[in-house]
Amino acid sequence: MMSSVGKSFGEMSIREIQAGLVSKEFSCEEMARSVLDRIERLDVKTHAFLETTGDMAMNAAAKVDAAIAADTFGELGPLAGVPIGYKDNMNLIGTHTTCSSNMLQDYVSPYTATCVNYTLRAGAIPIGKLNMDEFAFGSSTETSAFGPTCNPWDLGRVPGGSSGGSAAAVAAGLVPASLGSDTGGSIRQPAAFCGIIGIKPTYGVVSRYGIVAFGSSLDQVGPFARNVEDAALVLNAISGFDEFDCTSQHCDTDFTANLAEGVKGMRIGIVPAFMEAKGLTSEVRIKVQEAMQKLQDAEADLVEIELPNAAAAMSAYYVLGPCEAFSNLARFDSVRYGYCDPGHADLGSQYEASRAKGFGPEARRRIMLGSYLLSAGVYEQYYYPAQQVRTLITQDYNEAFGKVDCILTPVAPRTAFKFGEIADPSEMYLSDMFTISINIAGNGGMSVPIGLGADSGLPVGVQLIAPAFKDENMLRVAGALEQAYGAAPVAPDFACERSGD
Amino acid sequence: MTQHLTEADVRGIAEYVRIGMTEDEVVQMTIDLNSIIDNLQPIREYNLDGVEPTFHPIGALSNVMCEDLEQKSFTQEEALMNAPKQQDGCFLIPAILSDGGDR
Repeated sequence: MMSSVGKSFGEMSIREIQAGLVSKEFSCEEMARSVLDRIERLDVKTHAFLETTGDMAMNAAAKVDAAIAADTFGELGPLAGVPIGYKDNMNLIGTHTTCSSNMLQDYVSPYTATCVNYTLRAGAIPIGKLNMDEFAFGSSTETSAFGPTCNPWDLGRVPGGSSGGSAAAVAAGLVPASLGSDTGGSIRQPAAFCGIIGIKPTYGVVSRYGIVAFGSSLDQVGPFARNVEDAALVLNAISGFDEFDCTSQHCDTDFTANLAEGVKGMRIGIVPAFMEAKGLTSEVRIKVQEAMQKLQDAEADLVEIELPNAAAAMSAYYVLGPCEAFSNLARFDSVRYGYCDPGHADLGSQYEASRAKGFGPEARRRIMLGSYLLSAGVYEQYYYPAQQVRTLITQDYNEAFGKVDCILTPVAPRTAFKFGEIADPSEMYLSDMFTISINIAGNGGMSVPIGLGADSGLPVGVQLIAPAFKDENMLRVAGALEQAYGAAPVAPDFACERSGD
Repeated sequence: MTQHLTEADVRGIAEYVRIGMTEDEVVQMTIDLNSIIDNLQPIREYNLDGVEPTFHPIGALSNVMCEDLEQKSFTQEEALMNAPKQQDGCFLIPAILSDGGDR
């Protein structure tokens, strides 16, 4: 179904959807049905959704329509009528929350995560749950126990990960926005691979309550969207204090406030060592340099800075991440919830068989590694130094942000790779070389699409990094980049004229 | 590749983390872990003398005590709804004190 602006619902921005609803050009129920139909028709190609929530969506849509009829739409909240998908590590009561793992294949959420709840409170229409790497361990969605998600720009390639389903669903125009989570790059890297906006806010901006934990000192929830304002609107809705997450912070920032301000006089840091990093492909380097030039053209001051300890971030992350994952995944005991291997006469063998069959290879590797790194005599060699490195990385950022308002780097060293192209776990870990240090320090980072690489013809993203709790700085720069490059398009094969809408 | 871990070490960790493994899986896991740990070596080569660790991105967190008020929580039924096995409103596990016994 198409609106008078010639766009399918999948291609509209949040403002366009809300304008269409208020002017009664279409009803929210019509829109929700159309969105669900489009997913049923097109998601066989991408496999972004693990489950759609049709009944919930139609109920929420009916409430929006009732409010429009009663002329109270304005009271519904900033996401009124906006279809949203959720990464499948987010609890939504009555839906499966599988983390793309056999361990949780049959798990049904008895409660709703705060971030999901905040979107519903703001009037959003819940559309479904999105595929991911198993327990968020991966950079490609290839570790999903239920099969990978395909990149809408090239179905033979990965969408990135771990929030690959969340990115692909938005890039394919199946939903205007989605939520993902980011522990080392799991929002920013798939956003770059799929050519859309992805925000990892400062740790503490969004509650983690009800998200299945991976690395509790690193995990943060954030939005995906195809334009900066939509992403900012969703971030507005999900941010803020939650009594169920003691690390969440009071936050009343309006992230949409400065999107149109431009970057004149802003100091934007660039890191020469990153631009010369081993593994950075020339097509990504060229696009990132072009983005720098566009910001300079918009009268930003580019300032060379150093992040001298960034090289240690990768090894610190692959110590801290598995250690935290090991302790978080200890809760899967085959007794209270999760997969239980049948026919065991003693509890020990039930544990061992259930965890062996319930967890996939990457989850088992990370649990084993975390246990080893935390063992007596080894802890002092890896875990403790990794936390010392965290101090150095945080100091680097503090020093840099004394000189600049925002930092610009590549997101990923290359564009989306083919399925099976990267088989070695250590090589896969390099996907996150530019994103990881931000999780370790805890400040905000986001991915902004800047067109296609000259060699691969695939989307390239640029990463903007903000000081802690100054996420609005990177959004302002993102607004300026969007002025230069335009909002992210729906992937060509999914644009309405080609997908049969 | 340096041998950080032996197959015997891997068997010991698997037992500790309660993940059953075949002998073939132990062999492959030993190779994988040694390769990954090789890549972690830079963390040991840094001069970190006198650097205080940061265990969490939000510093100065302290415990907050809440009022001891009755609040709505899961019902017994909700708490059990995902239990693979249950009996008489309880989680059911193999007997741990009779003949079966845990190791």
